[in-house]
Amino acid sequence: MLRLPPFDVATPATVAEVVRALEATPDARILAGGTDLLPNLKHRLERPPALISLARVTALRQVIDKDDDNAVRIGAGVSLSTLSTHPLVRGAFPSLCEAAERVASPIIRNMATLGGNVHLDTRCRYVNQTQFWRQGIGGCLKAEGDVCHVVPKGRNCVAALSSDCVPVIVALDGSIELVGPEGQRTIPAEAYFRADGLRHTVRVSNEVMTALILRKPAAYRRERYLKWTVRKSIDFPLLSVAMRFDLETEAPDAPVTAVRIVVGVLGAKPRLVGKLNAAIGMRFSDPKVADMISQAVHSQCRPLENIPYDAAYRRRMLQVYTHRAIQAMATQAATSPSQPGRR
Amino acid sequence: MATRSPTTKSAQAQAAAGGTTKAWQIGRSHRKVDAMDRMRGVARYTDDLKLPGMLHAKIMRSPHAHANIKGIDTSRALNLEGVFAVVTGQDFKIPYGVIPWTPDENALAVNKVCHVGDGIAAVAATDEDTAIEAVNRIDVDYELLKAYFDPEEALMEGALQINPHAKRGNLSKNLILEFGDAARAVQNSQLVIEGDYFFCGTTHAALEPHCAVAQVDPNGLLTVWSATQVSHYLHRELAKVLELPAHKIRVIQPPLGGAFGGKSEPFDLEFCVAKLALITGRPVKLLYTREEVFYSHRGRHPMKMRYRTGFSREGKIQGVEARTIIDGGAYSSFGLVTTYYSGQLLCAPYDFPAYRFHSTRVYTNKPACGPKRGHGSVQPRFALEVQLDKAAVKLGIDPIDLRRRNDLGSHSTTINEFRIGSNGFLACLEAVERASQWKQRRAQLRYGCGLGVAGSTYISGTNYPIYPNDMPQAAVQICIDRSGRVRVFSGANDIGQGSDTMLAVITAQELGVELDDIRVLSADTDLCPVDLGAYSSRITLMVGNACLDAAHKLRKKVCAAVAKRWEIPATRITLVQRKAMDIEDPSHHIAIAEAFSWAEADHGLLGEVGSYNTPKEERHGTYRGGTIGASPAYSFTAHVAEVGVDEDTGVVEVKKIWVAHDCGRALSRKIVEGQMEGSVYMGFAEALFESHEVDPEHGGVHRGPSLLDYRLPTFADTPPIESLIIEAPDANGPYGAKEAGEGPLHPCIPAIANAIYDAVGIRMDHMPFDPPSVLAALDTRRASDMAGTTTRHPRPTGSATGPGRPA
Amino acid sequence: MSHGPVLSFELNGEPITTTVPAHWTLLELLRYRLDLIGSKQGCDKGDCGACTVQLDGEPVLACLTLAATTQGRSVTTVEGLGYQRGACHPLQDAFDRFDAAQCGFCTPGILLSAEALLRKQARAVSREEVRAALAGNLCRCTGYTKIIDAVVDCGERLYGPPVTEAAPTD
Repeated sequence: MLRLPPFDVATPATVAEVVRALEATPDARILAGGTDLLPNLKHRLERPPALISLARVTALRQVIDKDDDNAVRIGAGVSLSTLSTHPLVRGAFPSLCEAAERVASPIIRNMATLGGNVHLDTRCRYVNQTQFWRQGIGGCLKAEGDVCHVVPKGRNCVAALSSDCVPVIVALDGSIELVGPEGQRTIPAEAYFRADGLRHTVRVSNEVMTALILRKPAAYRRERYLKWTVRKSIDFPLLSVAMRFDLETEAPDAPVTAVRIVVGVLGAKPRLVGKLNAAIGMRFSDPKVADMISQAVHSQCRPLENIPYDAAYRRRMLQVYTHRAIQAMATQAATSPSQPGRR
Repeated sequence: MATRSPTTKSAQAQAAAGGTTKAWQIGRSHRKVDAMDRMRGVARYTDDLKLPGMLHAKIMRSPHAHANIKGIDTSRALNLEGVFAVVTGQDFKIPYGVIPWTPDENALAVNKVCHVGDGIAAVAATDEDTAIEAVNRIDVDYELLKAYFDPEEALMEGALQINPHAKRGNLSKNLILEFGDAARAVQNSQLVIEGDYFFCGTTHAALEPHCAVAQVDPNGLLTVWSATQVSHYLHRELAKVLELPAHKIRVIQPPLGGAFGGKSEPFDLEFCVAKLALITGRPVKLLYTREEVFYSHRGRHPMKMRYRTGFSREGKIQGVEARTIIDGGAYSSFGLVTTYYSGQLLCAPYDFPAYRFHSTRVYTNKPACGPKRGHGSVQPRFALEVQLDKAAVKLGIDPIDLRRRNDLGSHSTTINEFRIGSNGFLACLEAVERASQWKQRRAQLRYGCGLGVAGSTYISGTNYPIYPNDMPQAAVQICIDRSGRVRVFSGANDIGQGSDTMLAVITAQELGVELDDIRVLSADTDLCPVDLGAYSSRITLMVGNACLDAAHKLRKKVCAAVAKRWEIPATRITLVQRKAMDIEDPSHHIAIAEAFSWAEADHGLLGEVGSYNTPKEERHGTYRGGTIGASPAYSFTAHVAEVGVDEDTGVVEVKKIWVAHDCGRALSRKIVEGQMEGSVYMGFAEALFESHEVDPEHGGVHRGPSLLDYRLPTFADTPPIESLIIEAPDANGPYGAKEAGEGPLHPCIPAIANAIYDAVGIRMDHMPFDPPSVLAALDTRRASDMAGTTTRHPRPTGSATGPGRPA
Repeated sequence: MSHGPVLSFELNGEPITTTVPAHWTLLELLRYRLDLIGSKQGCDKGDCGACTVQLDGEPVLACLTLAATTQGRSVTTVEGLGYQRGACHPLQDAFDRFDAAQCGFCTPGILLSAEALLRKQARAVSREEVRAALAGNLCRCTGYTKIIDAVVDCGERLYGPPVTEAAPTD
């Protein structure tokens, strides 16, 4: 069987203890659900001296309605199973539930956490293999080598962001709350991710993510997470698109006031699709909205051969599935804007 | 109470006995004799064995696809604390091979490696971590060689020879067989269908990884526990390679976690644990990683096939010509047989007036291919059944009717001279036609939805064993005693298919006991009679017959003992419902244990052996190779698949599969259905999801040797399957039974391909039918629609245009 | 090799204290130290579900759970699923009646996923619900059909027939 490399395990009970442990062992890794980290360790992608388990940090498992701030604070340790069915989250941010619900398999969602999904390491067909396998290709930028097998002569690792939740979090303008030795900081999700497959977030290694902060919608909203995989379970996304439309009213033909489309599984960073201003003011139900946006997604997003599926096909499907998803959104109910102070 | 006439009594006894043979056990559903142990986590599979002082072994494997080994330095590994021994190819110089004519592999590489993952050295250490560390300390000096991943390139003049034992360069086997003048028959046909087909390789992916444990007794007896489906062949090859007499080796197959052909020959780990145990004197275990399972492979061969089939205007096949290139990988495995099967098993259920096939198996620098469920014949069956569908469209004949018109019939002889006994193919066709409401629904389905049909046949074991001998092909020993308990000893390997239960059902039927009264002890070469193993769907027919033979003999003794005491003819005694009973007076009975004790008193300890050998007369042709593919009985299958094709994405959704299978006689219904459902699942998975490939651009590494990247369909992906058991009893099978474990897979892939055509008018002649390939075919069809060159659409296209479609 | 730090947790309803190296998974601890061999290892790394056990009542993958992180928690394996004194769980009985286990290698994991489904729903379940709940457990033998049959049947036997006739999903 594939074995884990030797390491020590710490099981602190509070966030402060986690931070102290991170400081004490600089190369330690944070262990949440383990469904990403442990396979990567079995593959010898890293050899940390210690793992700092969050299993006992119950404070990270809360979902709090921060009514005063008109926001919801979701603890980083909330499991994806809990997240996908949480009534508060489902009511205000249904696409986040949708994303959580589509991660891997039911068993993995019981283990995996929101924080873990945000920090899911970038993935590549030439990386997420055993050490023996990588020996056969001589390694790559991300492991044991200095070449890129995806982009010949490339110097920047393009391993793919494969989190289902991240595109949604960016689309919803969420913020990541971190705690480190210097205290707490909150970073907008849009600025949290970097285009570098080796280190794809701005978190520094002695910080721990404590929560995701989502501002409650200020407008009527239609949102959706689109995922396509070969199998209906277990697989990482091959197509991943988060969509959010802010509308004047709850009617399907209401004018669009804002739109954010975020695409995953391209390079290391989620791609915020630009040049969508033409959609502002158009009626949501106008077929031109779906046409225009799906074309923009197609022209701005170029999937790579970094994950094991035909890139040209994935690019073409980005357009098809985005178009379909927007059309389908017209038939589902809109989320209402929150009314501060009222529960 | 009124007095009953003897005839009424007899009828009642018959009823009580369920018609004596009928309802007592045969044909019912049963709880499997070993299932509860497996479900409670009590059954010990190979990796569940733990022996005192056991060492753990690991194999060092080649990261290169083709290289000479200039030197191996194991000293750094041997110096590591906790390492007990290291072996290399120099310790296993005798080559072996499951087919005696092609011994072309060594337990570990001798002087060269032939594919990524080839074993080079093995280490035994106190624990797995130490063994892994030791493997990393083995230094190998390689001389890299050009590697060949395409069989046609490997055959070119000047290509380096891959397998050092090969006799004809990279040609593994070349075979031409012709029956009648096929070329002329096709040429003279009113319709000729010509097609090129490609079947990608697929692998078994049984959930239990291969594992073996070895132990040597102080008296020198070597015991090897292995997750194998062919204990006997493993036993033979261990004796050969280790140069030990066979009686000094005991092979035990613990409960097995699936096989599907992937555990049907010896593997490097079995030789390594044995040798390491002999060297260290300690028990040694080796468990493959999932990646190692992929590199060990022996899965379905990729085949490139060219078919020419001639038809009459009425849809009758006139002749078939086939040219097949078989990508064998680095070793022969069962390849000699595969090459024959690629042509020989195609001659039923349809009557071929003339047939010629030319098959060529080639060595390449890939993991070796071998037998996977439906060995050798699933690939050509795909090609032929699509050919038939193309002809049906051209001729305007319903595809089911076209198949009926070509039915070979029962008690017939194929063009290649195989003798067919019972044949329920027409009933299979009718069953799937009715259950799927083929006629009504096919006419009404909208564009994008389609129904497809295909048929097939398969063998119930091979008429001749892998190594020529005159001994029986199967043997069973049964003992009974005064407790009423029955013990069945059989060498057959239960690999999850339920063969232990099959033996219990036959024994219970004959001796009148319940399955609970029976202990089946199987697949232990010290305790059980020799059996050739779980391959070629041989066990129900062959081992079942041997079991029936032994049980019959015991039944006779027990009936005689009872008859003697009751002073009535033995023919009046029946054994049923844990009783010995007078057929003419069912109220007259005794407990079976008492009957057994009477027999024990008369005969001493009650044990009988039964044997089975195949009928040899007029079963096959006398031409060279004419015996390969001959079987005592043939099963028949038909599938109808219903699909939906998304024309913007190329995604094929299989909505339902109906499978009708003629198994001769279902000895245990739910087990037969389970084999049918599992077969359909596996075929469906191959059609749409799976492809076992190496990456030629990256030195021949496997494209995704994990259960993440090699995508087995999940609960959520697998369509509903409706199993329809057809029973055309065969005189050669026990109670008429034939096989059910492999045949039901065959039609699945072409039925799906034909349904895709029915849905959207594209021919998927290359596998798998993944969304990019389907979409590309749709693009081509749309381009030809535009150009007005599309010949015929099964259904009018009526859907709106969407994005992603060419303008 | 060091036997590692001390670990205490509840295993199949009984407290247990053992030692385990820090880098051992729960699966390794169960199989190779505690000799509870019912949880199987099929894929090395969380792709197959054969090692599914319950942690505090939720199905999890033992091959991706560090043994050390189960401190103070409750683990249920297939060995703890059966009722006391040799009887079996109704799901095991249903699997037996439907011949839903062929090689049986995936079965322990599937039983633990299915048990969690039935316990949480506490009512008869539909075929579609079974498919969704078991979608992380691979089976290579059965084509899943008989497993779904068995779980649906077991739900009905435990909780009575479905309240409203579910639309046929097949």
